[in-house]
Amino acid sequence: MQAYIDQLIQNGYFAGVPKEVVYAAAMVLAAFIVLSVFVAPLAGVTSWLERRVWARMQSRVGPNRVGPQGILQWLADGIKNLLKEDLIPSAADAKLFSLAPYVVFMGFLCTFVVIPFGSSLIVADLNIGILYILAVTSLVVVGILMAGWSSNNKWSLLGGMRSAAQIVSYEIPAGLSILTIVFLAGTMSMQGIIKSQGWAPWDWFLFNNPFTFAAFFLYFTAALAEGNRTPFDIPEAESELVAGYVTEYSGMRFLFFFFAEWGNLYVIGAVATTLFLGGWQVPPITSDPILLGVLEFVVFFLKAYLWVFIAMWVRATLPRVRVDQLMALCWKYMVPLSFLCLLGTVCWMLVFPKGNQIFSVAMFVLGLLIVAYFFKRVLFQIRHARPELYFKPHI
Amino acid sequence: MNETAPVESQGFYTEDMTISVGPQHPSTHGVLRFVVKTDGEVISEAIPDVGYLHRSIEKIGEKVTWHGYVPYTDRADYLAAMFANQVFCMAAEKLAGTEVTRRGEFCRAIACELNRIASHLISVGTFGQDIGAMTPFVHALRERETINNLMEEICGARLTYNYIRIGGVGYDILPETCTRISEFLDHFEPIVDEFNRLLSNNKIFIERLAGVAVVSKEDALSYNLVGPNLRGCGIKWDIRRDIPYSVYPELEFEVPVGTGRVGTLGDSYDRYWVRICELQESCKILRQCLKMLPKGPAIAKVARKFKPPVGECYARVEAPRGDMGFYVVSDGSEYPYRVRIRTGSFTAMSIIDKLSKGIMVADLIALIGSLDVDAPEIDR
Amino acid sequence: MGVASYIKDIKDTVTSVFEGMAITFSHLVRRPMTIQYPDKIPVPIQETLPRRYRGILEVDMDICTGCLACERDCPITCITIGIEMDKATKQRNFTHFDIDVCKCMYCGLCSEACPTGAIRHSQEFEGASYNPAGLVRHFVTQPQPLYKPKKGGETDPKLAEKVDIGLKYLDEFATPDGGAAAEEG
Repeated sequence: MQAYIDQLIQNGYFAGVPKEVVYAAAMVLAAFIVLSVFVAPLAGVTSWLERRVWARMQSRVGPNRVGPQGILQWLADGIKNLLKEDLIPSAADAKLFSLAPYVVFMGFLCTFVVIPFGSSLIVADLNIGILYILAVTSLVVVGILMAGWSSNNKWSLLGGMRSAAQIVSYEIPAGLSILTIVFLAGTMSMQGIIKSQGWAPWDWFLFNNPFTFAAFFLYFTAALAEGNRTPFDIPEAESELVAGYVTEYSGMRFLFFFFAEWGNLYVIGAVATTLFLGGWQVPPITSDPILLGVLEFVVFFLKAYLWVFIAMWVRATLPRVRVDQLMALCWKYMVPLSFLCLLGTVCWMLVFPKGNQIFSVAMFVLGLLIVAYFFKRVLFQIRHARPELYFKPHI
Repeated sequence: MNETAPVESQGFYTEDMTISVGPQHPSTHGVLRFVVKTDGEVISEAIPDVGYLHRSIEKIGEKVTWHGYVPYTDRADYLAAMFANQVFCMAAEKLAGTEVTRRGEFCRAIACELNRIASHLISVGTFGQDIGAMTPFVHALRERETINNLMEEICGARLTYNYIRIGGVGYDILPETCTRISEFLDHFEPIVDEFNRLLSNNKIFIERLAGVAVVSKEDALSYNLVGPNLRGCGIKWDIRRDIPYSVYPELEFEVPVGTGRVGTLGDSYDRYWVRICELQESCKILRQCLKMLPKGPAIAKVARKFKPPVGECYARVEAPRGDMGFYVVSDGSEYPYRVRIRTGSFTAMSIIDKLSKGIMVADLIALIGSLDVDAPEIDR
Repeated sequence: MGVASYIKDIKDTVTSVFEGMAITFSHLVRRPMTIQYPDKIPVPIQETLPRRYRGILEVDMDICTGCLACERDCPITCITIGIEMDKATKQRNFTHFDIDVCKCMYCGLCSEACPTGAIRHSQEFEGASYNPAGLVRHFVTQPQPLYKPKKGGETDPKLAEKVDIGLKYLDEFATPDGGAAAEEG
């Protein structure tokens, strides 16, 4: 994007304005465009899709009245929350209370700067791209602790403390899995990581060697834990702590926390796609730049959104783990396994410096077999238990 | 509640935090309140505070006629309404010496076992919901909807039935309803298997419950636990077997007990597993009843103004939440003199404080769910 | 904790999560069970309710004999009936027959007590009202004479139809001694 702005300045568009001001204005404009055109509707539609997906998994329908198939439900919810009374408990710390949702929101929004939507569709291709994402998502901990403390409510405090422990612990397996890929790619820049993969599934880092295959699932689980999603949604455990750290929030402030959570799902999917699934790489079927750009954008979006769908699916299926079991899972299971994956990948790189094509294809076939076995189990469930038993109408 | 004084330990002052779980809380199974003292996540004391749902059902018994009281017994535990109906009618019949017709007894057994399935479905569904799994809850409720439809066909109401009357049952079960019930059973048994695959065998669920809040046999007997709570500790005691009533002596069924299937004997998972096994046993009982349903009148001739002789009587049945007993005193008039209801959930409240020492807040929720306490039963 | 139990833990978790996700996916692709009341159903829901459904009470005043059996049998005293002797015509008339629908327990004891089947449970259940006064149903708008059942059947055809409906309802609904249905079934 910087190159594009430089070109505009050279063509004399912003005569008399210092270069830094033009850059700053361009950054603000880009952030605004990304936020309003992409992130806000995306988080909203994700919330609608989540409710529909859960509903269908529970044999019911979900919101389908507001707009065609209920797709404007999130808009109705947002407008309703904007019109609500702005309630700050009198004993709460008003400044921290108001600031907390924005800190959480900032923590997730800043990651969009380095998400590679296409080969030339990226706001800024930092050369520490993935490290920047890891660092900026930790801001969420500060926001949650602020929310829990400033609510002046014991339930919120419990929720905030649990969340801080959880997010900070799960940074480690996530970071180690990311480090595994950084070793393979040789660079921390997001575009660089994508460019060191290919468009074919066996060229993806996911199927590169068995250790990255395991590292992917470790990364996904750790990312779910960082995003406060079930089975790790203890900070907002509805049935235990009423609503955890968001108990005292109402109206738009309440919605901001969940806005950040749904948007974060997309960030998790995008990072997983970038690191493990080859990003926006497409087979070379066209050389028309606009068509290629659109194709890359669509491919990246679909790959990332698949993981959003899987996160929703996992939330509908699994119960919640307890706080001490969460910590045990992280420190006793995931951290040693992440280290194992890291060492394994490094050893693999020593043995096969250029990678092993045959092994990658074999891993890909193994992946396909697992998916096929999954659908076989699904067919078994459908044949075995049939819930469609209608006794009404009594005619 | 008096606040705990700060305690000095290791050079700095700490204080226990007093939280109130409820009465408005998503998972206390009705309006219940627990005053919980915690040290961080670990509970040091959990005292139940009951009475938010007290509706003076026992006092109302003195103001309405014997026949008129039967709808009120529905509300004593609205999830297991048939059982309260039945035990009150059994007490009244014992007092007056009324003989229930044979077909009436079988209709009662069918209605009660259907209601047992419905109540256990809610119990395991909400238990999964408390642990965090939201899908099994909706699946359980979907099955319960079919049972509600069946009850609607039989007696016209979905929750407060007023079906079991003094002398038999209020309405006869027609043949097409019997067909529908067996269709439902054919459809329901695989669903219980699916439920097990989804929730009971889930490793996270097992880890949450195995070894949590273990109740020893001596504790269970001394705190007077009943029903699945008692059977989960390994004690084989079921009113249908040990103090038989109605047609249960003629039916073949097992009494499931906890065996420490995962974790320790008497933990929360055992109590939950006993309920799942009881779902399958109830299906067996229902099939036998449907086959053995005799012809005849569904209700005996009972006077419109029911006036049992002076006396007192206690009757008990195996309700889903344990042993439900009605103690009725009659003074010869058409109004009861005293009605006293004994429920299993009320006695289960007393063991919560003992079991909750040293467990975490999340485990307290699991404990309350595994005991299947029910606010209307506790407060009446 | 040995290595064997460590690996078994991981294996158990992965297999049970896999199985659970297969079950929820299988539900995702099946038809949902929701009945989308009130607008996306093929017939009005009142027609799908069973015959014995105990909905809101309704009274057919033309065949009510004023025996007060329902008022006596109601356990929650939601029925209030007023009968007055008209001095001029020496005839007993109803002054009011009120049913407080929000007190009613929908237990069915009143409809079982009625000798003619005048008071019945309808299939209506949508009784929500903006005004609490709207929840008390008044079935007598002007003083109305009591019904005297004629020996040997009713002669007036309109009344005969109503009497038939009442008796059929009683047959189906109130079977104090088992009735014919039990003999066949």
